Amino acid sequence: MGKQLNVALIGNPNTGKTSVFNALTGLNQKVGNYPGITVDKKQGVCKLSRGVKANVLDLPGTYSLNASSLDENVVIELLLNKNDKDYPDVALIVSDVETLKRNLLLFTQIKDLKIPTILVINMSDLMRRKGIALDIELLEAKLHTKIALVSTRKNTGIEELKQLIEGYKTISTEPCLDTTLIDEDYFQSLQKAFPNQDVYKLWLVITQDANFGKITRQELDISRFKTKSNQELKRLQQKEAIKRYQFINSILKEGQTIDRSKATGLRSKLDRILIHKVWGYVIFFLVLLSIFQAIYDWATVPMDLIDTTFASLAEWVKVTFPGGGKVTDLVAEGIVSGIGGIVIFIPQIAFLFLFISILEESGYMSRVVFLMDRVMRRFGLSGKSLVPLISGTACAIPAVMATRNIENWKERLITILVVPFTTCSARLPVYLIIIALVIPEGSIIGLSYQALTLMALYLLGFGMAIFSAYILDRILKTKYKTFFVVEMPNYKLPLLKNVIITVIEKTKTFVFEAGKIILAISIILWVMASYGPGDKFNNAESYVKETSTTQSTSELNDQIAAFKLEHSYIGIVGKTIEPLIKPLGYDWKVGIGLVASFAAREVFVGTLATIYSVGSAGEGENIETIKTKMANETYADGTKVFTLASGISLLLFYAFAMQCMSTLAIVRRETKTWKWPILQLIGMTAIAYICALIAFQFLK
Amino acid sequence: MNTSLQTLIIAVVVLIAVLYLFRKQLWKSGKNKKDCGNDGCGC
Repeated sequence: MGKQLNVALIGNPNTGKTSVFNALTGLNQKVGNYPGITVDKKQGVCKLSRGVKANVLDLPGTYSLNASSLDENVVIELLLNKNDKDYPDVALIVSDVETLKRNLLLFTQIKDLKIPTILVINMSDLMRRKGIALDIELLEAKLHTKIALVSTRKNTGIEELKQLIEGYKTISTEPCLDTTLIDEDYFQSLQKAFPNQDVYKLWLVITQDANFGKITRQELDISRFKTKSNQELKRLQQKEAIKRYQFINSILKEGQTIDRSKATGLRSKLDRILIHKVWGYVIFFLVLLSIFQAIYDWATVPMDLIDTTFASLAEWVKVTFPGGGKVTDLVAEGIVSGIGGIVIFIPQIAFLFLFISILEESGYMSRVVFLMDRVMRRFGLSGKSLVPLISGTACAIPAVMATRNIENWKERLITILVVPFTTCSARLPVYLIIIALVIPEGSIIGLSYQALTLMALYLLGFGMAIFSAYILDRILKTKYKTFFVVEMPNYKLPLLKNVIITVIEKTKTFVFEAGKIILAISIILWVMASYGPGDKFNNAESYVKETSTTQSTSELNDQIAAFKLEHSYIGIVGKTIEPLIKPLGYDWKVGIGLVASFAAREVFVGTLATIYSVGSAGEGENIETIKTKMANETYADGTKVFTLASGISLLLFYAFAMQCMSTLAIVRRETKTWKWPILQLIGMTAIAYICALIAFQFLK
Repeated sequence: MNTSLQTLIIAVVVLIAVLYLFRKQLWKSGKNKKDCGNDGCGC
């Protein structure tokens, strides 16, 4: 077995760190428990020469080793703990060519921890266009390091970087700054108290403890050291930053020349329009509109194809293995239908993430964050809350975790509580099927009604999140204020490789994480729908024949199947809650979908597909897709179950209800109490019920 | 295929599904309860 070394990728936000990570690891990467924005550690394997492999960690973006937020804390805790299995053999500090000065602050801090450190200067292809020239040899000598000039866009410099990683043992660990100069007396007393420890590491432990409370560390126990007040420590941290910038300025004076006259001004021209206080919002709105229209237009054909294929597959299983009895039914109606209910949404989910990824890659998303900060401040949120709210369109779980970079606890708590209102990918299947059923197919000025409805639901979710935040801001009290700082990266053409990796990663997550839950629940539901207690279920045929007047065998089979379903275990559950949901316009079958959805929303469509497959007669029937089956569903008096009124009511219920056990579990984890997830569950479900009730009663 | 065997197969499949859900929703979500050490942040 080849040898493996640990490589940590560290850098300021928006320096192209993830692009370097993708270039080094390709598709050999795995994201921790929850995918999404880099909050926890993201790992990948990079193959070097002669069988050597590097375990690459993509750590959260941080500006310095003086952490103020939880995701920055992850970086520092790793670098302070030599016993951590991920402790790096070599650190790669990724810097953008244009923001080298600011990035060198972090570089010098990590270098002073005596970890072999390589400076990776990304976007080096833009140097000439930006009028920047670097004296690499001089910089390497002054910083005691090796420098890799890379361009992930042009795919240059990556092989050279791999060679530098492999030869990490030759890199000097000499520090950049004599840290005792920050405060000689204090640092000498610190060294005297812990003669065997590195003084800079001790200093970082003290500042970490001041910011984040005492953390138990076996190796670096500083509890017996009498330290300064927090105010004094802050003053020393500022002094450290000044000393470091003096050092950095002296080096860049010799090693970097910038000729602004050669630089082009496209960025400022675009910024003037895209973050304009009127045009900025208009453009953002138009961008959203185009995205939802495109999702609808492009995904229809593959979705129809998948739907028909799975209906045929279920039919084929029944026809080919008739001897299997109940097991064949389980495969055809439970498993195949369940998988079909997952796969059908792949095209739309892939397109949604394709667009989100393009917006992020191009640098436009940071402008949107800046733009929205103006609005969100008024509602008790910060611009930083927009990142979780946008990543909430994928899944609330990484979004809740992404709130860790919000320093203010109140803003963080409000964001956690309102994030589940944003339309996650699990709601998408429910919306799509209901919209297809109740919203007509016409269009207005080239925009289909269905696409507009979908967009309205996204805006509604977002609007409710903002409104709830406003209410919570009035209820929750705090004395802290925070300030919003956002990095405005340069505009750039999205890197195809990054876009593809994001789309594959997110779609894979939906299929294999949500998909497995959907499949498991589909199987359980099928069993509950196929078995039942008592005589009415077991002798359904004779009961129906006694009362039925129909002559047609197929109609009789349908009636028997429906009677059996009504008296199955699942039918009993649906019937029990029917009085509660009747005022919302739902029948007991929809009720079963709602109950199952409290485990996870995406289960709804699969559940209905399973129920309607069981409910309709098996043999000899025509191939019917999920949509058609639902469209044909009627009450005993012949009126349709899915009308505009019940459809809108259902859409509103799904838009606001808290129907995700995993999100509740993660909110519990992040808030460390059951109080908030329980309040979230009760509050959101009550809002959903009331809105659905009003909508149905008005529209019916 | 006789009825007992069919029932047995279905029971096993359902058991696997229930165990999977239990593991996914309850057991796994209870993991990683590491404190960040900041009493004020509530994590």
